[in-house]
Amino acid sequence: MISVDLFLGALIALFCGLDRVAILQFMISRPIVAAPLTGLVLGDPQVGLQIGLLVELLWLARLPVGAAVPPDDTQVAIASSVLVIILGRVLDAGGLELILLALLVTVPLGKVGQYFDHYARHYNVRLSKQVELAFERGSLAMAEWQHLRGLVSFSLAAVATYAVILAGGLIIVPLIWPLFHEPLSYSSDWLALALPLVGIAVILGTINVSRAITLFCASFGMAFLLMWLV
Amino acid sequence: MMTLSWRTRLHVWLRLLLLQASWNFERLQGIGFFYALLPGLKKLYSKEQVLSVSKNYVGYFNTHPYLAPLVAGAVLKLEEERAAKRGDESIAIEEFKEMVAAPYAAIGDALFWGGLRPLVAGVTLFFAVKGILWAPLIFLVFFNLAPMWFRTAFFLRGYRQGLRSVEFIQQHNLPDWAIHTKEAAVVVLGGLSAFMVFSHLNLKQLTSWLGLLTLLPMILLSLVARKGISTLMLVIITSVCIVCAGLFWADVALLLKI
Repeated sequence: MISVDLFLGALIALFCGLDRVAILQFMISRPIVAAPLTGLVLGDPQVGLQIGLLVELLWLARLPVGAAVPPDDTQVAIASSVLVIILGRVLDAGGLELILLALLVTVPLGKVGQYFDHYARHYNVRLSKQVELAFERGSLAMAEWQHLRGLVSFSLAAVATYAVILAGGLIIVPLIWPLFHEPLSYSSDWLALALPLVGIAVILGTINVSRAITLFCASFGMAFLLMWLV
Repeated sequence: MMTLSWRTRLHVWLRLLLLQASWNFERLQGIGFFYALLPGLKKLYSKEQVLSVSKNYVGYFNTHPYLAPLVAGAVLKLEEERAAKRGDESIAIEEFKEMVAAPYAAIGDALFWGGLRPLVAGVTLFFAVKGILWAPLIFLVFFNLAPMWFRTAFFLRGYRQGLRSVEFIQQHNLPDWAIHTKEAAVVVLGGLSAFMVFSHLNLKQLTSWLGLLTLLPMILLSLVARKGISTLMLVIITSVCIVCAGLFWADVALLLKI
């Protein structure tokens, strides 16, 4: 049932979205965890694992430092997993091509998550005023409650991001699938290899380590040589 | 002497897991810090006093969520001493909180987000590339080992040592650890890249040494990323190039057959 899959995806989006900033921060929200979890719940963990592998490194270099909000790779991973599993049944398609096409559509939509997250954090400013009000009234319980109300903003931001990415994917992917299916089949393996490598290159370019490129090349060369010799 | 029972301290520790629930652009983790400390403050002060003390904690506060327990533990200790009127009155607790929050945030960001996360992600992806479904669990276990230790042991240490907890964190040389972790992450990611490229070439039955050429576009991409080009732009450019090259190669193969 498609509606059940969408609902289960929304529940995972909500839980992982909260883990991303608001609570726990056990990193259940990382794509390598969130996508296979979605796949497992919807009955195809391998699709989730493959999506997690492709998305995990893309924005890993964007650190959630202070007030900086990186693109929402959590919801990209979850929505892509739901999208591929549902469209795989509807279009009677599958394989790496569908995964890649879904990602090429959903990855740019990950920027939407930044706007919703920004909005939630702006909205939470009014909770500070409510806390002041609670103190004026002498009610600690009311002040405590304001803190928990912040969870509502973050929950709505997570689910809204999931919904927008998924809706975008459900509209665009079936439309362009007939056009892109064949062209992608010639290069899907290479594209699947390239996406994590782009993520690694971005990490390499932005990580604050002196001689990072030298270290990387030495490690790459040594590992490559060992695999070639063994 | 510890006034607060382990139950109260556990209560505070559990609430610290919700530290960022009301994160906002004005006070960042301010309300969350008040929310976490409240069970402890309630045990130390009378109802009227708790209200006035709590007002000190709802202002601006921002540190790394994994190091916040250290600040919270130390603050609880200082509040305990203030309540018993045996603390050093010359140091305001609010000043201490503000003084340590920013350096701890910088250390935590570099160590956990900048170093540990890419390191563990790199290790985990070796398993994911092999299609091992336990990969997410491996990530969760390996990543959370250090943060859980920091969250628990540092909270206890903060509560035990109060102001002197700053010395404790200095002894651990965490900024050095952050650099070492980042270096380890770069090495692991180098190995991961080599592993993915080598496996792919083997699968395609292509000559292995060609894989070394991967270093050129990767270095180029990293230099471009350093200039501030977004990941999204790099993904789009790379994807278009690869799809076009695939189509071109398919046409060439077709022509050669003809």
